Amino acid sequence: MLHVAVIIKLEPDFSEGNVSYNSDGTLNRAETKNILGPHSAVACNAAFYCKVRYGAQVSVGTMGPPIAESALKQAQILSDAEELNLYSDRMFAGADTLATAEVLKNGIEKMFGGNKIDIVFSGHRASDGETGQTGPQTAWKLGYTFLGNVIDFEIDLERKVVFAKRVISLQGMDTIIEEIESPLPVFITIDPSYRSIFNTVSQRLAANNFRKEASKRIEDTGQYLKILDGKKLELDPKLVGLPGSPTIVYRVEKIPRAKTNRKAEIVDPSNVNNLAPVIEKLIQISRGK
Amino acid sequence: MKMSKLTSEDAKSKTDEKYRHIYVIIEHFEGRVVPVSLEMLGEARRLMDDFNQKYDSAEKVVALVLGSNVRSLCEELVNYGADSVVYANHDELKYPRNDIDTRIIVQIAKDTQLIKEISPEYLNTFARPRYMFFAADNIGRHLSSTVLAELESGLASDINKLVISDLDIRHEHKTKGKTVRYEKILEMYRPDFSGFLWTTILCLDNKNPEILREYHPQGCSIIPGAFKPIDRDSSRKGTVIEYSPEGYQRSKIKILNRKVVEKTIDYDTSKVIVSFGRGIKDNPEQNIRLIEDFAETLGAAIGITLPLSKKPYQLSQTLDSKYMIPDRVIGTSGSKVAPSLYVAIGLSGAVQHVAGMKESDIVISVNTDENSPIIDESDIFIKGKLEEVVPLLTEQLKKQIQAISIRSN
Ligand SMILES: Cc1cc2nc3c(=O)[nH]c(=O)nc-3n(C[C@H](O)[C@H](O)[C@H](O)COP(=O)(O)OP(=O)(O)OC[C@H]3O[C@@H](n4cnc5c(N)ncnc54)[C@H](O)[C@@H]3O)c2cc1C
Ligand SMILES: Nc1ncnc2c1ncn2[C@@H]1O[C@H](COP(=O)(O)O)[C@@H](O)[C@H]1O
Repeated sequence: MLHVAVIIKLEPDFSEGNVSYNSDGTLNRAETKNILGPHSAVACNAAFYCKVRYGAQVSVGTMGPPIAESALKQAQILSDAEELNLYSDRMFAGADTLATAEVLKNGIEKMFGGNKIDIVFSGHRASDGETGQTGPQTAWKLGYTFLGNVIDFEIDLERKVVFAKRVISLQGMDTIIEEIESPLPVFITIDPSYRSIFNTVSQRLAANNFRKEASKRIEDTGQYLKILDGKKLELDPKLVGLPGSPTIVYRVEKIPRAKTNRKAEIVDPSNVNNLAPVIEKLIQISRGK
Repeated sequence: MKMSKLTSEDAKSKTDEKYRHIYVIIEHFEGRVVPVSLEMLGEARRLMDDFNQKYDSAEKVVALVLGSNVRSLCEELVNYGADSVVYANHDELKYPRNDIDTRIIVQIAKDTQLIKEISPEYLNTFARPRYMFFAADNIGRHLSSTVLAELESGLASDINKLVISDLDIRHEHKTKGKTVRYEKILEMYRPDFSGFLWTTILCLDNKNPEILREYHPQGCSIIPGAFKPIDRDSSRKGTVIEYSPEGYQRSKIKILNRKVVEKTIDYDTSKVIVSFGRGIKDNPEQNIRLIEDFAETLGAAIGITLPLSKKPYQLSQTLDSKYMIPDRVIGTSGSKVAPSLYVAIGLSGAVQHVAGMKESDIVISVNTDENSPIIDESDIFIKGKLEEVVPLLTEQLKKQIQAISIRSN
């Protein structure tokens, strides 16, 4: 039996219309509602794929305040998870990625009653502007082989290996798709472009059945939800929360405008004649004169 | 034997002395150093020149490079600012692989014998690097995470400004609410998604007596394009050191195949680029069509801002899959372009976007808001709604083009 874990995060909803900005253009966190992060959702889809294709059991985990339960429910709808884990404790507050990874590592080790997890999925990064560090740091602490930027994967259950495709795109260089192979267990950070595709009729049937099952399951989340605090996770208080976080946020400020090399000429388009010089320029340049 | 008691002042400087140098993790591809690596070296050089004046003249910029056939890259790294280059050369290291690269970088970072060749004066005191720089890209983002996880220290990602200074810190945990002076701290600035806010991250030792703990190196990943390399100077001197890792463990990751993906969009050959941003929001479908028509008339390629690649609007399948894709993003997360003409429509000009287009010869923008930062990057700023301005431009253009072709007939 393949055991799969997904770590997910409750995040501000950055999609159009749902973001609320302050008058100075900064994000209004209080007004912006929280959802299962879009990258976490992609990770859930990957876990669901494992369920349909390989009959995997899925466990979802998140470190966060009690309201993060809502993200676990959304993750269950997507992945039809057998187990939901909320790692919640006052002492986790203020964690940076290293301290977060410490909690997630212990959490993953306790999934399915301590049964070894074969594959852990995480999102590429939390909603834009987050770090993308939590996944690889959790992987390292678990001692799992880390595979990043994965856009597709298959598993050979007999040989216990995973085949993956990943994208490597470096500044000013050709983009490369790399096909790799690695023995289980692995930790996969899934690229946002990943799409699970169910090719055969039987896969599609199975997917539909699991989806139905998922929608039943969330009616009774309580049965699947485990809430674990630092004690239950057997965490060393020195390694989590503020004491376990090497970094702090020291200062937040508005980005000052850079010095400019250009001086814009402002054109009022309400009089078409004002546009004539612009048109001239457009034509000159586009025709290479 | 006389045992002198260390004063707390001694103890403080003592800990500080265990950490030395800036280690810069170099990336390369098909025999070429990735530009961000030279940019990091440039910034490390500038920081270290100041550091040498202010604190200690013997600390260095150390470049680390793993690969096969990488010896030939080392001089170039010296020319671009490294004082020492440590390279590990092995077939196993031909392509980046997280597990083995992490182990070797950590080995090098903790190698107290190697320091003899980098800076013998620190031989008996060196424990680890003081600072470590990685690229915030597909490789460096994850590599920095695993290296700093193994070294159990702190990491800030996506940095575009760095300052080294002494700071008086008061923190509920780090200092237990007392004001404590921290020396030689790397202030790591990261722009947030909105492009408006700058957050400064610090990696600090715990000086709270109940939970004393040292966190070094202070690590960060750096946005490609954020810094400038120094001018190449082939007369610069530096030491090149080969590193042979203890027992080459093999990577668990086997690379079966690597292939280049054809870029669907090629901005390098485009003379004119028209980009749009969230300003299309009132009627995305129709506005994209207007911009499409305009770009076609100009013979221009089309670019977008990052948020549009997250598919924020309901659009027809064709428009969506054609335009709202990561390949079209201009800026630090996408392509860096330098066309003869860049037309910026309904985009605000966030730093990350500007970093990708500021080298354009001429910039024309269409925007309703004179306070949008893009105005500072524009030669011509057409103040108005794109819904009105773009069709006007297209219409006028078509007229002119027609007139020209009639004349030339
Ligand atoms: C690590 C990181 C990397 C990033 N990388 C990139 C990157 O590579 N590229 C990138 O683009 N962004 C990047 N971003 C995001 C960036 O910070 C900004 O959020 C983004 O560029 C803003 O997009 P925008 O200009 O389309 O939207 P907005 O900032 O919302 O601007 C919309 C503009 O449209 C104007 N407007 C509104 N209505 C109209 C109308 N009817 N007619 C004309 N104008 C109108 C407004 O005045 C405004 O100026 C990155 C962020 C982070 C944190
Ligand atoms: N508190 C958390 N609990 C569970 N998973 C997390 C948490 N924070 C981050 N992750 C995972 O790590 C990914 C990257 O997040 P980040 O490193 O914050 O950008 C997310 O998409 C999640 O899959």
